[in-house]
Amino acid sequence: MNINKVDTQKAYQLLWEKITSLELAPGEILDFASLADEMGFSKTAIREALNLLVHDHLVEAPPRGLFVSGLQFSDLEKISTIRLNLETLAAQQAVLNATTDDLVILQSLCKEVAGDTREYFELDQRFHQAIAKAAHNNYLADTLQLLYGLSKRLWFLALPYLDFLPTAVKSHIKLVDAIRDGNESLAAEIMKNHIEEFYLKIREIIQEKDLIKE
Amino acid sequence: MNKKPPPETLVLGIDTGGTYTDGVLLEYNTHQIIAAHKSLTTKRDFSIGIENVIKDIDLEDPSAIQMVSISTTLATNAIAEGKGKRVALFLIGYDPDLINSFDMSKRFATPHYFYIEGGHDLHGQEKTPLDLPDLLEKTKMIKNKVDAIAVSSYFSPRNPEHEIRAQNAIASICDLPIVLGHQLSTLLGSVERATTAALNASLLSMLQEFIIAVRRAMEHRGINAPLMVVRGDGTLMNDEFAARSPVETIHSGPAASAIGGRFLSGEDQALVLDVGGTTTDLALIKDGKVVVSEKGASVSGYQTSVQAANLFSIGLGGDSHINLDRGKEISIGPERVVPLAYLSHQYNNVQDRLKALAKTNWPAPHPRDLEYWFLQQENPEVNSFTAKEQQVVEILKPGPKPAIEVLKSLGLLDASQISFNNLWREEVIGKSGFTPTDILHVDGRHTPWDKEASKAALTVFSHYLNLDEDQFQLLFWENVTEIISKAVIHFLTEREIPAKNDSTHDLANWFLDNSLRPEHEQLTTRIILNIPLIGIGAPAQVMLEAVARVFNTDLVLPAHYQVANAAGAVAGSVMVTEEILIYPHMSKGDAEVLGYYLQSRDNRDEIEELEDALTRAKEIAESNALSAALRSGANIPQVNVEVIQDGMDSYRVKARAVGKPRLGG
Repeated sequence: MNINKVDTQKAYQLLWEKITSLELAPGEILDFASLADEMGFSKTAIREALNLLVHDHLVEAPPRGLFVSGLQFSDLEKISTIRLNLETLAAQQAVLNATTDDLVILQSLCKEVAGDTREYFELDQRFHQAIAKAAHNNYLADTLQLLYGLSKRLWFLALPYLDFLPTAVKSHIKLVDAIRDGNESLAAEIMKNHIEEFYLKIREIIQEKDLIKE
Repeated sequence: MNKKPPPETLVLGIDTGGTYTDGVLLEYNTHQIIAAHKSLTTKRDFSIGIENVIKDIDLEDPSAIQMVSISTTLATNAIAEGKGKRVALFLIGYDPDLINSFDMSKRFATPHYFYIEGGHDLHGQEKTPLDLPDLLEKTKMIKNKVDAIAVSSYFSPRNPEHEIRAQNAIASICDLPIVLGHQLSTLLGSVERATTAALNASLLSMLQEFIIAVRRAMEHRGINAPLMVVRGDGTLMNDEFAARSPVETIHSGPAASAIGGRFLSGEDQALVLDVGGTTTDLALIKDGKVVVSEKGASVSGYQTSVQAANLFSIGLGGDSHINLDRGKEISIGPERVVPLAYLSHQYNNVQDRLKALAKTNWPAPHPRDLEYWFLQQENPEVNSFTAKEQQVVEILKPGPKPAIEVLKSLGLLDASQISFNNLWREEVIGKSGFTPTDILHVDGRHTPWDKEASKAALTVFSHYLNLDEDQFQLLFWENVTEIISKAVIHFLTEREIPAKNDSTHDLANWFLDNSLRPEHEQLTTRIILNIPLIGIGAPAQVMLEAVARVFNTDLVLPAHYQVANAAGAVAGSVMVTEEILIYPHMSKGDAEVLGYYLQSRDNRDEIEELEDALTRAKEIAESNALSAALRSGANIPQVNVEVIQDGMDSYRVKARAVGKPRLGG
């Protein structure tokens, strides 16, 4: 067992959570030594974890130093465009490839009720992961996971002003029904609307409240 | 002058017992022991003792160590003390009525078990479809109340499909670790498999944390070498395997002792007796190997399907509590206490109090006055304790007190009137008393601590029984010899020793007594053990010499026998067993055989002809075992394939890969 690998993996998960939930703010400078100290990991583990986050586009590594990737308004456009298309593709592929077990899992996730915001995020992420898994294409699933992390930061930015979480869950139920019925176009449409609506709201809030300085 | 070059291949063996953590540094090829280390086990955290060994081992350049190997009672103790994590167990296709009618649910090792529709039959055919929605509903219900999940489906070694589907579904809705029955056992006993899976799940995080702690301690001293853990059958697995299958470490400690005894003595046929602080463990060495139990390891009444050494354990060791039973007979153990010599060594006023007690003639002090309680933690977290428990802590703050006095302050006559379970379990307070270790202090055979305290205690005990001190010691050692000798007979014959007053076994009792202590004028009886005894553990010499005489055999005490357990941790081979089950694919109604299934741990094939199926299975088993042994840290493993018929038209193809551990960084 390689302790460093174990620690790197743990540090990576903790840092991913901190960055995607904006606990570490966009543009914040990342210092190995103080992070290692605060989080109780070796400097090596922190350095390797941050390197992984560079690949996730959550950390930037200019010639000197490391910092949390900045958030530009243009990111929202870029991320939403690609995620919109790939999530829709995942929904279509799920209609074609989902097994009965996949459907049971999706139905079960739809029925779960989140008690608080943290649980809601967890549940939403699980649902989207389950759709990607039902598509039975691991490259698609990996790409969507990467985009999910990037997208989550925009979501957290708008979070204090959001009020539409429960309706999003309703569209999850409709989506699963469409997958069950083998209705590819309907599934694609529901997913497309679900994602589109999400980004529209986020864009509105970010612009209205001027959350990203251009 | 030229310095001798350092020995070439250094390995470090560590054994964490219930009382002591032992370490030995040895040269792997010559078996030469270079340094030994002994420290007390910290039960709250086993890794502390190991860190001490790694920190203190006498070696200039620790980075020269090529392997660290550990045997540990961590798993066994955690099960015995109910300290494993909370587990939900899903039983797929098990018959609840059958389980209830035999009252088998207690054997599952967790109160959170759930029956789910599904499972396969003997032919690997789906018996009932898997009720996945129900499984997920129950997972949601329990997921926040447990720390891990175990799944066992009916006949899963024949067809693990339902276990795998269950794992996949559970992993989609929660992040708890999941253990599958078929990954741990290829045997068909469904209850044992479920128990094994549940125990494994309950121990996962504990063993992972333990291994990580050891790895960190190694890192601090710059030891970058393979870390191995001893299995219950004495073979080794690398740390990654161990972190996944903690149940396999059940009985790891005693198995390592047996292997160590054989390793240091070179005896290929012998009975190994490991006398520890808490217990004496017996194991048989046959043709150079530890004899393995056919039934699978059982621990604290739970029967598992894990392969482990055939062991027999009695609650008699160097630190066993010497007491009086109701009939005023001397009793020894099974409770383990801190020897008075050690307590007095640690605390000032104990010796004086014991001496004063020894001088009291009337009324003669009772041996129970020798029991002391003391605080084990300086500032214990007392919030969760009852008022009485907190009171006990207060009373003991100034220093150890006789138990009798503590009880009197609480207005109680006897400890049984109230339970201080929390205090013992959390190791807040400890118990000290008269032990074999104290007697060894008196006769001068083992005197690391305060022998004056031991002497005083012996005086009190002897006076109470109206014996002089020599008579008492003689009687005591006769008792020890009798207990161990009877354990040897019980273990080897697999027959219970009748109670002393059992008149239905009159002749058996006479025969035993006469063989242990020749009494009859005309008839001499003798029990001859035709293999030697190997004694291991610090008190082995003292405790076993008379036992060897009873059995008319030799007592072999190999050099460094006090730390043979730790030597045994490095002496084992890395072994991996892979099994392929072959059984027929029957047509509907079982009329004809359509082909043969080959079921390995993770894969399933079908081949039409039995001959081809067997050939293919042998190839797969061999290559699986070989690669698993390499991954598990074996160096140039040798594979042996065996085909065993297992019912009609069914076969087990068993490949066993064995090799010395691969050393180095």
